[in-house]
Amino acid sequence: MAFGQDLVGAVTSQLLVGLSRAMILFVVSAGLSFVLGVLRVPNIAHGSLYMIGAFAAFTITALFGQALPGFWLALILAPLAVAVVGLILERALLSHLYQREHLMLILFTFGIMLILNDLVKIGWGAEYRSIVPPDNLTGSLTIGDLPLPRYNLFLLIVGPIVAVAMWLFVNRTRIGKISRAAAVDREMVGVLGINVSWVFAAAFVIGCFLAGLGGALIAPTTSITLGMDRTVIMDTFLIVTIGGLGNIWGALIGSLIFGLTQSLGLLLWPQFAVVFPYAAVVLVLLARPKGLLRSVW
Amino acid sequence: MKRTVTALVLFLALLVLGACAPAPTPVPPAAPTTASQPQAPTAAAAKLDRPIKVGIVDTYSGPPAAFGNDALNGFKLALSEINKNGVLGQKIEFTQRDDKYAPDTALSMAKELVMQEKVDVLVGTINSAASLAISAYAKEQKIPFIVWTAKSEKITGQDGHRYVFSTSENTAMAGKAGAIALAKKPYVKYWIAGEDYEYGHAIADSAWNNLKKLKPDVQLMGQTWWKTGEPDLVPYLTQIMAAKPDAVIFATGGAGMTNVLKVAKSTGLSDKIPMWIHTATDYSVLKPLGANAPEGVMGTMDYFYYYPDTPANQAFAKSFQAAYGNPPGFAAFHAYNTAYFIAKAFEKAGSLDKEKFIDALEGMKINSPVGEIEMRACDHQAVLPIYMGVTKKDPKYDALIATDIVPLAGQDVMPTCDEIAKERAKQ
Repeated sequence: MAFGQDLVGAVTSQLLVGLSRAMILFVVSAGLSFVLGVLRVPNIAHGSLYMIGAFAAFTITALFGQALPGFWLALILAPLAVAVVGLILERALLSHLYQREHLMLILFTFGIMLILNDLVKIGWGAEYRSIVPPDNLTGSLTIGDLPLPRYNLFLLIVGPIVAVAMWLFVNRTRIGKISRAAAVDREMVGVLGINVSWVFAAAFVIGCFLAGLGGALIAPTTSITLGMDRTVIMDTFLIVTIGGLGNIWGALIGSLIFGLTQSLGLLLWPQFAVVFPYAAVVLVLLARPKGLLRSVW
Repeated sequence: MKRTVTALVLFLALLVLGACAPAPTPVPPAAPTTASQPQAPTAAAAKLDRPIKVGIVDTYSGPPAAFGNDALNGFKLALSEINKNGVLGQKIEFTQRDDKYAPDTALSMAKELVMQEKVDVLVGTINSAASLAISAYAKEQKIPFIVWTAKSEKITGQDGHRYVFSTSENTAMAGKAGAIALAKKPYVKYWIAGEDYEYGHAIADSAWNNLKKLKPDVQLMGQTWWKTGEPDLVPYLTQIMAAKPDAVIFATGGAGMTNVLKVAKSTGLSDKIPMWIHTATDYSVLKPLGANAPEGVMGTMDYFYYYPDTPANQAFAKSFQAAYGNPPGFAAFHAYNTAYFIAKAFEKAGSLDKEKFIDALEGMKINSPVGEIEMRACDHQAVLPIYMGVTKKDPKYDALIATDIVPLAGQDVMPTCDEIAKERAKQ
């Protein structure tokens, strides 16, 4: 790696693409973290919901055209479809199980993950799928002489919008405040005459919506395939763990650490760059075993 | 709390293990094999007293299932043709098992097929590690095993033996084919990038070692390896662009191919830096991308349904399309040839004896959709042509196709029998 101008350009480029990667991780892990915080459910099936979001985005763009209406509709409809799946899962199954211990919940949501996987295979088949973003989001901008794909720029805008929306929801809406209270003491919230069951349903649906949104957002940059759930669930669980279980801002910080160590690590040591995010996780947990921000657990 | 965390950690550990097995990386294309016209048994030929039983172990769940199903369809198509006349008065039957892309599952499935189903021949699988595991078992049990999709050169190379055959092309052949093509180009400074698993490293090593031999002045600037299933390759490719190599050797397979081609296009890497990837010109890789795949990517490939444009290949592609609704992929082609190798070898052997079957298969030639293919006697590797090509848009097709195709004959890209013997002697 040359020094001077070249290095500055390379660092800037890696910083930007790393940030955009972090934004998708944030959207998915915010949902996971929210469910962990409010429902205390470690939802292993969260990755499957993300995968369903990506497949749903594929179907929607196939129906409405890859170009203009299709992609934007997919960004709205795919997460909504996943939210509906989440609502059904929560009402039919999860709502009966909140009293169980966490180990049972992990096994249970793992079971759901396997079932959703098979349903995706039955519904969409085993082939790889791919979608393209609309024309104005394809190709790259050039910064210095290095590229920043337009789609990554778009992610850099979407990420903060989701973060602000989550902040407004949690701090400015009644249901958001109740969710926060339920996260701290669910019995007390129940005693106050609030129907905790529906608060939980709403929180789970929001978590699923974010998983679906993450899936729809990643779809244009990758191949939509079975197995994408496993990769993401690993990374997002690590992210919420280093951020502080159940803390949405922790998810944001964790995602930034993950995305940036990966992209900047590539400049340092490309051959073994995969280890940087995981090394960062280990370091954080050594220093702060309960995560960087306050865990609600 | 503590218990929960422990449970969570254990669980994640399990997932990691799980992820290793069904990880998202399928195998690249395989090489062509056989397919002869069914031959009428001679009047004097022996009759078999029961049907020939073939046991298939392959991946029918997870991302590689696309290739497992393609292979199965190719095999079924061949059997529908072969069983019209039968083999020595009997039909070929098969039973398939899903190895879930896990070598241990593959091994137990193979054992079950041999012990319970009493199959005469084992075939499969897309996973190289699974193929090697079954191969070791086949050697011990003296059961013929034909690998039809996995591409590790170890299968018929250093780990080869009497009971294992491959009808697929392998990393030694593909890497050498790529090296021959790249050696003719003026590039000196190379970057190698790929997925961090057996196939990725095998194909990269093979291409690089062959390239160094053919053109000693090439330099390796650096390498990048990402984990299989890595969804977002933008940071990886922008870093390579910042390093400004003359050309990049990419070593990816399966879903990773689609990812790398997408990002090569969105970052503009494919416009600025020449790149070679084995299987980049594969229909199953290019099809999901539609017209949005990058043009000008150099790729080697072992089968195209549209090339060579011969009556035999057209006929194969047409009957496959009619039966399954899509054109045959490389896996279907290899499995189709495998069926013909099996039929012809039993015909020649004149009995269900496994040793006679192996003797018959050694050196056997069949007429495949792309011409005659030989099962080389010395290493049991099918001698298949590899096609070098470049991706290009063509309005006649729903996806990009390969153009400027240069076929390389199998014997020109395969290690010699002497080299194989040396490899095996090291074991």
